[in-house]
Amino acid sequence: MSHGLPPAEAGGDGAPIPDAPAERVVAAINRVIVVLSSVALVLAGCVLTYSVVVRYFLKFSTDWQDEMSVFLIVGAVFMSAAAVQAQRDHIGIEAIVGLLPKRVNQWRMLLVDVASLAFCGYFAWKSATLLHEALVDDYHSSSTWGPPLWIPYSLMTAGMILLSVQLLLQVVADWHGREPRRPDIVV
Amino acid sequence: MSTLAIGLMYGGATLLVMFAGMPIAFALGAVATVFMIAFMPHGSVDTITQNVYEEMASITLLSIPLFILKGSAIGRSRAGLDLYGALHAWMHRVPGGLGIANVFACALFAAMAGSSPATCSAIGSAGIPEMRRRGYSGGFAAGIIASGGTLGILLPPSITMILYAVAAEQSLGRLFLAAIGPALLLVVLFAGYAMWRYRREYHAAKLAYEASGTHSELLRENKLTTRDKFALLPRVIPFVTLLTGVMIALYGGYATPSETAGLGAILALILIAVIYDVWRPRQLEPILVSTLKESTMLMFIIGMSLLYSYVMSYLHISQSTAEWIVSLHLSRWVLLAAILLMVIVLGFFLPPVSIILMTAPIILPPLRAAQFDLIWFGVVMTIVMEMGLIHPPVGLNLFVIKNIAPDIPLRDVMWGVVPFVALMIVAVLILCVFPEIATWFANLVMGV
Repeated sequence: MSHGLPPAEAGGDGAPIPDAPAERVVAAINRVIVVLSSVALVLAGCVLTYSVVVRYFLKFSTDWQDEMSVFLIVGAVFMSAAAVQAQRDHIGIEAIVGLLPKRVNQWRMLLVDVASLAFCGYFAWKSATLLHEALVDDYHSSSTWGPPLWIPYSLMTAGMILLSVQLLLQVVADWHGREPRRPDIVV
Repeated sequence: MSTLAIGLMYGGATLLVMFAGMPIAFALGAVATVFMIAFMPHGSVDTITQNVYEEMASITLLSIPLFILKGSAIGRSRAGLDLYGALHAWMHRVPGGLGIANVFACALFAAMAGSSPATCSAIGSAGIPEMRRRGYSGGFAAGIIASGGTLGILLPPSITMILYAVAAEQSLGRLFLAAIGPALLLVVLFAGYAMWRYRREYHAAKLAYEASGTHSELLRENKLTTRDKFALLPRVIPFVTLLTGVMIALYGGYATPSETAGLGAILALILIAVIYDVWRPRQLEPILVSTLKESTMLMFIIGMSLLYSYVMSYLHISQSTAEWIVSLHLSRWVLLAAILLMVIVLGFFLPPVSIILMTAPIILPPLRAAQFDLIWFGVVMTIVMEMGLIHPPVGLNLFVIKNIAPDIPLRDVMWGVVPFVALMIVAVLILCVFPEIATWFANLVMGV
């Protein structure tokens, strides 16, 4: 199992690799998203803390807090999926990787990335369909607060589209026999 | 096509894509989607995203990123060093006290941070150099920390336990409570071994000194004044208060598990800001980024594992396999041994998260039929998965140790953890004979 190489080892054989403009754009988007997602996580913590405080000290009823924190966390998770993939931090079993010759391993990597792209692309398309339905049919959550569901669905769709673009960049890089730079997601 | 054939294809396809190196989350999602398209009614694939969203949007599951945030805030501060320093100061006069202090520090830190690698890293970075400076062998020191770190997935708020509670539809609060007794049992076993091993190394050093005059650091008296001991307490007390406060909030009925996670995360951020002056964006950045990385990776695996289980259930693969296991009429202990052996083998390759969510629909019905208490089983299964953290080839904690003490050969680290793996097996056997160790406290607090 691997957690991916640390950013310092990016670049494979150590040769500097010029970033394609698309890679730079996606890396910039990922940096902004990481900041926003971090804020969303802390906000979710604050919302849940607020929920405990108002219920037990001020005796107010709480109806929107759980759902608000769900939206914040689901949004943060889906939106930052591409930034995590950029560093190949979605873990996989790499037990056989060390046993394969370099050339075979490059083909393995390409096939794995193409399969991942096919799945994530399909999921992104289905998410977009769901978002469209939620907008057209005005879907709302069944809770007492009842917020519109296009909010989390749009975050899921945007996150999966960005993840698919990230995977596409990695497939192109694999095809050209190079490992794209793994931009450090530290902002 | 028969269920057996579909099941074999499902399992075969999963193994193929996983061993090809596809990220676990995408592999599970891709296999589930392909089988949905191939074998399920046409419309079912249209609900794929809704399924994943609804599974992930469970407020219990979403407590995981917040528990990770709490652990990351504590893990990346100096809290681990201070906790270790205080325990060391108070226990240094006990024979083997340094080793025991490390075990206790790991247990306490694990309960605060909820992460095994974070515990290994935080306590080990101070504990291993100190133990080696005092003459402990590298393998022994590494074994104590690697094994002590595994308590992170057993003690509340364990992420593994949260997932088991969701997968087995059991009470999370009861499961957390049930883990406390077995965790204390492991602490006692680990500390007992640390004391015995210290005495052995001490006597060997003494004999060597008497025979050849070779002086070992083990023989040196370590003196700390009462003032030294009390000086370390102020920095530790707030974190221990946080630990107990969060537990009171949860079990006193003040907060739900997710609210407890949110409260714990915010309090941990406030504590590190007040005590360690960690509040500037640049200082908080590594904490938030590591939380986001781990949460996203885990939540994707969880969402896709749940989709994978849903398809397995829809195609009757899990039910048929469970029925087949029941039809073997194995004695309940053979059944349990076979299941735990499977968990150990899966632990060679998969993280606990995937093991639980992928196997729960198959293994829980036969266990229920054999009248095992599923809360008790959750604790036993978690201890078995702890072994996966310290045995090769994955053994995440081994690599954390290798990272913080690169000069200890990996071979020594591996040999160092062997006695602790044996102790975990002993703990499982004790729990089989005395299940009350897990169930008694949970029943006492929450009723039978």
